[in-house]
Amino acid sequence: MASRPTVNVHSTAGEASTSLPLPAVLTAPIRLDVVQQVHKSLAKNKRQAYAVSEKAGHQTSAESWGTGRAVARIPRVGGGGTHRSGQAAFGNMCRGGRMFAPTKTWRKWHVKVNQNQRRFAVVSALAASALPSLVLARGHRIEQIEEVPLVVDSAVESFKKTKEAVALLKTLNAHADIAKVSNSRKLRAGKGKLRNRRHRQRRGPLVVYNEDNGIVKAFRNVPGVEIVNVRRLNLLQLAPGGHLGRFVIWTQGAFALLDEVFGTFDTPSVYKKDYVLPTAKITNPDVTRLINSDEIQSVIRPANAKHQKRPWTQHKNPLVNKGVLFRLNPYAKTLRRQELLKQERIKAKGAKKAKTPKAAGEAFLKTFFAP
Amino acid sequence: MSDDLQWLLLRKNNSFIVKRAAEGPVFSREAANLTNIHSFKYSGLANKKTIAITPSAAGVQIVTRKKGASPHTVKKAYATSTIRNRSGSRRAVGVAAKLAKRGYRADLRTAAVARTSAILASQKEKKPAPPKKVRGKKATQT
Repeated sequence: MASRPTVNVHSTAGEASTSLPLPAVLTAPIRLDVVQQVHKSLAKNKRQAYAVSEKAGHQTSAESWGTGRAVARIPRVGGGGTHRSGQAAFGNMCRGGRMFAPTKTWRKWHVKVNQNQRRFAVVSALAASALPSLVLARGHRIEQIEEVPLVVDSAVESFKKTKEAVALLKTLNAHADIAKVSNSRKLRAGKGKLRNRRHRQRRGPLVVYNEDNGIVKAFRNVPGVEIVNVRRLNLLQLAPGGHLGRFVIWTQGAFALLDEVFGTFDTPSVYKKDYVLPTAKITNPDVTRLINSDEIQSVIRPANAKHQKRPWTQHKNPLVNKGVLFRLNPYAKTLRRQELLKQERIKAKGAKKAKTPKAAGEAFLKTFFAP
Repeated sequence: MSDDLQWLLLRKNNSFIVKRAAEGPVFSREAANLTNIHSFKYSGLANKKTIAITPSAAGVQIVTRKKGASPHTVKKAYATSTIRNRSGSRRAVGVAAKLAKRGYRADLRTAAVARTSAILASQKEKKPAPPKKVRGKKATQT
């Protein structure tokens, strides 16, 4: 490796002041499938239990009428004097019956995900958040910012006022992403409106800090912004919806701590016991680069001469066209030549005399006309 | 990160993808996608070098990614140039083709030239239609 890539630290005024080496986590392998699967399972862990009433559909004393009454043998409500009497009950196909396989509160609501898988997913999502194209592809408006990952000075951690926070986002040119969030705020469809989920909106940047000296309160009222401590990074925030590439704004302290929190490829993490970053299966996934490398080009056989296929030419009949015939069957040429030579030889010898018919012999005629 | 890998991560789902018809083509809304077709070749996100040709008030804007830019820089990595209005179509098309001539995404030459001329055609002011001639009976009336 030539030199470790560095990332600029932007002061609160917006300009790059110092720089930090890129933490190893941000070069970890990105596995979309792992992230999606882990996200799918983790997202289930916040669910609340629900079920239909235990008694629903079973609050009648219905019994089957048995055979012989020319009606189906489903249980029927007894008695008379009301419409309900004689109606079918209980079955999932009946009006007023219970549902099929009534839901129970003891469903398996939570899904266990192996710790290493969870960490792999977080590491993958972090690595994806350091690539501008993936952050753009998630829909964050980061065209005007300086660089990804975006690191700001630790002074931001002691911001107390939201006004300061918004001013910072504006100087970093990250406010376009906030504007996107505010413009996207819509009334939620369905009952969620009554259940404290009245509006739905996009997600904005994720602010990651090392020490909370007021940063949480400063940023928490900015639309779409989420704030999290580096030690508690969470897949649901790093890859919302299982989509990679959340726009992350790091404070300098948080960014410098990443190598400790996740470890590197050869030193284990300080905070996670015996955890070393996953390594990629191949170090260089650039396929074109691999193919064009000297090592590969020197051992492969040279390319064949270019063969141009002419698609629209007329098809020649080899039974008629000699040239095509000889191309298909080189022996035909010898055959023909032999034939011609033979003809010539015969000609030179002089044509064979044709058989002249002779008169029939006497003996023959005698027997032929025998009486 | 290699372009091939990035394309694999972007291919299935991204915020620019447009899938309208069930079996139809998949389009892309990326600014740097010259044909608006969702493919690796034309992708404005997955490729290291991209060309974005867009109409602007000043004429046609061409945005390319700078050669030596670090993969992490965003805004500063792009170089913008504009073809002024009234430059003429030959010149504008020549500017678009020049990138390919320089060896910058030579595979996108046709797409770049086609997009430039389409933008020029859209910017052209339409000639006012000549007044309709009244013929026959209507002409003799009044």
